[in-house]
Amino acid sequence: MKRKHLTIVLFLVLATILSLSCSKQKDENSPITITIWHDKEDVVVDVIKQALEPLSPDIVVNFERKASLAETLKLVGNNPQTAPDMYLYAHDKIGVYVEMGILEPITNLVNSESIETLVPMTKTAATYKGKIYQLPIYFETLLFLYNKKYMKPEEVPSTTDELLTYVQNKTKYGHFGYIEQHSTPYYFGPWINGFGGKVIDEEGNPCLDSKETLQALAYHLKFVKYMPDETEYATVNTLFSEGKAHTTIGGPWLIPTIKKAGIDVGIANMPIINQTGKPLTPYLGVQGFQVLKTGVQNPEKKEAIIKILQILSSEEVEIKLALASGCAPAREGCYSYDSIKNDEIVMAMRNTAENAVPMPNIPEMDVMWTVTGNLLTAVNMSGKDIETSAKQAQEKALSLIENMK
Amino acid sequence: MKKILTLVLIALLSLSFIFAEAQEEKPSVVEKSEETSLSEIQVQKPEKIVVYAQVPEDWTFPCLWAWSKDGQNAFENWPGNQMIKDDNNPGWYYIYVPGFVDSVIVNANDGSIQTSDYAIEGKNAWITISNPETVSVSFDSLTGSTLPEYSEMYSVFAQLDPTWENPSIWAWENETGKNAFKTRPGREMKQNADGFYSMDIPVWCDSIIINANEGLVQTSDIKDIDPSSVWLIVAQDATFEVSYVDPNAVIVPDIKVYAKVPSTWDSPCIWAWSHPDGTNAFVNWPGQALEKTEDNWYVSDAPGWINSVIINGNEGSVQTSDIRIDSGKDIYITVNGPDSFELSYK
Repeated sequence: MKRKHLTIVLFLVLATILSLSCSKQKDENSPITITIWHDKEDVVVDVIKQALEPLSPDIVVNFERKASLAETLKLVGNNPQTAPDMYLYAHDKIGVYVEMGILEPITNLVNSESIETLVPMTKTAATYKGKIYQLPIYFETLLFLYNKKYMKPEEVPSTTDELLTYVQNKTKYGHFGYIEQHSTPYYFGPWINGFGGKVIDEEGNPCLDSKETLQALAYHLKFVKYMPDETEYATVNTLFSEGKAHTTIGGPWLIPTIKKAGIDVGIANMPIINQTGKPLTPYLGVQGFQVLKTGVQNPEKKEAIIKILQILSSEEVEIKLALASGCAPAREGCYSYDSIKNDEIVMAMRNTAENAVPMPNIPEMDVMWTVTGNLLTAVNMSGKDIETSAKQAQEKALSLIENMK
Repeated sequence: MKKILTLVLIALLSLSFIFAEAQEEKPSVVEKSEETSLSEIQVQKPEKIVVYAQVPEDWTFPCLWAWSKDGQNAFENWPGNQMIKDDNNPGWYYIYVPGFVDSVIVNANDGSIQTSDYAIEGKNAWITISNPETVSVSFDSLTGSTLPEYSEMYSVFAQLDPTWENPSIWAWENETGKNAFKTRPGREMKQNADGFYSMDIPVWCDSIIINANEGLVQTSDIKDIDPSSVWLIVAQDATFEVSYVDPNAVIVPDIKVYAKVPSTWDSPCIWAWSHPDGTNAFVNWPGQALEKTEDNWYVSDAPGWINSVIINGNEGSVQTSDIRIDSGKDIYITVNGPDSFELSYK
């Protein structure tokens, strides 16, 4: 009898142990799903998917491409049911989302080395009110591009006055010495930054009527007079790709199309502005991962996101992402690799980053693009007085910012 | 006994596995050395070769058509590229072609007269033509030991006053004074079907003069020319207009895009581009706003070169998938939802 009882007890203990381990097995088998929104090309997302593959099957990463990611996030960022856990996007919307209260500081999720080894300007771009909200992965700047058929490397103007002389001599018969999207604020960036001006300062005060901005507008206008009236992206792209423009300032995204069109394109340093001694200084746009507060509310999800960010912080992954995107990696260590050192475009962007100005990431910048665009149109295309137009634009900006509050 | 036999079998099995692995490693070493020997044997083809031709007197503006054994053409269209008169070797014309060229045809008079195919197999060649059937090919130079300088060329087109006959072009590099041709009046220009005369000149030439009537009339110096196809219109008094835009080029006009969208789609826009090069018609998403017309269609202009569109609404938060269209035609799109639309050209 005792033996029989002992057997039953042992059986029950064994059954309990087995069922507990099965239960644990069953919980361990349920994957954690992390949703990442993005607006990137497949070639970029494929690199990320491949890098995160080792986390499978415990962590499943769901990528969703959103055409109007920035606006949609404003609508759903607070809703844990519809918001993503993370998103891959430019840094310039960080301020908007921080003020909405939806972003988690990235420093809560990555180790200090992941931040300290970044290219300094990318860390600046990712910082808002003293906290870092983005894990920068790669960045882009505008580049000075020239058609080697028309200009030898030694002939590339080193100053803007030299460029102006070149433009005056070469713009004729339907060819242009230099073109750019002259009335698009992003492309006016090199000029206003190079003169020491700003569209808006760090405290959210517009600076459209500052002395430096006025100087930039006046000098820039000298070049605009030698360009077509209409210089949207398609026009600039077409003119340069068809060999109708000798030089341009454009993004790295232009280069594949240009090369495909058979143009032997060269990349040079930005010319130095004679009046200030500073080079034309483009904006820096940094792409990286941001994490939503809703994504880290669940401890298991938080753990999963930490693991994801750890993988994405590696130099190898960042190099692959940068090369896939045609941009420059945000991590300093990447620049010791041959694949990066030997890439002319990437190294040109890295050099430009030394002086580039991160696009302002404060919420007030949201209204400045349109106001600045209207100012450029008034001055460049409608021939309006610079000082009057700048003053009007400044008043408009102040009014719009006031309405935001 | 059985135990011993089993142990022996196990040992033999283990040895055979080890041996198989060793065999597997060997091919990579063999492949590598094979690779090396193949690259050593492979003959490197030159980047460019020169083909010379001596043609009968009535063969005007000779051209060369050239191709490789695997069917790759050196030039886009028949009759190929025009050969260059060698001022240093009267009677001879030459042209540089890619090193992959294996066979050539020499032709003239706008391709209306030609030789048959001749194999040159990637070597400099001198082709002497008495008539289309009497041709000899030499791989030893018949024009001396010095080959002409290679230069990329660009085309100059000129439309001339009818009193300007037998035009020629004189070309030089302004900074150095280096001339493209040995003697004035320069190179005779070829008359084309569109009424323009043309001639190719080296890309290092940035200055030209168009002259005619045995050099009796000419333009002034036309300087600072980009090495890019250029069109001139020359008047009787030698004044001229210059353009890098072909005056005969067909300009694709804008098209109209008409769209009907679901009632829940506010402020519909069109996003448009050229596929597969990806050139966008508009700068920023969601693209150009469509304007409402009286009959409930929305409409917008778009460049005629686009072949892909997306109709979207609500500031780009709802949209169709990519819609491929025929370039140059007005389109009508009825959008029923993100995954459903009807496209027509009427």
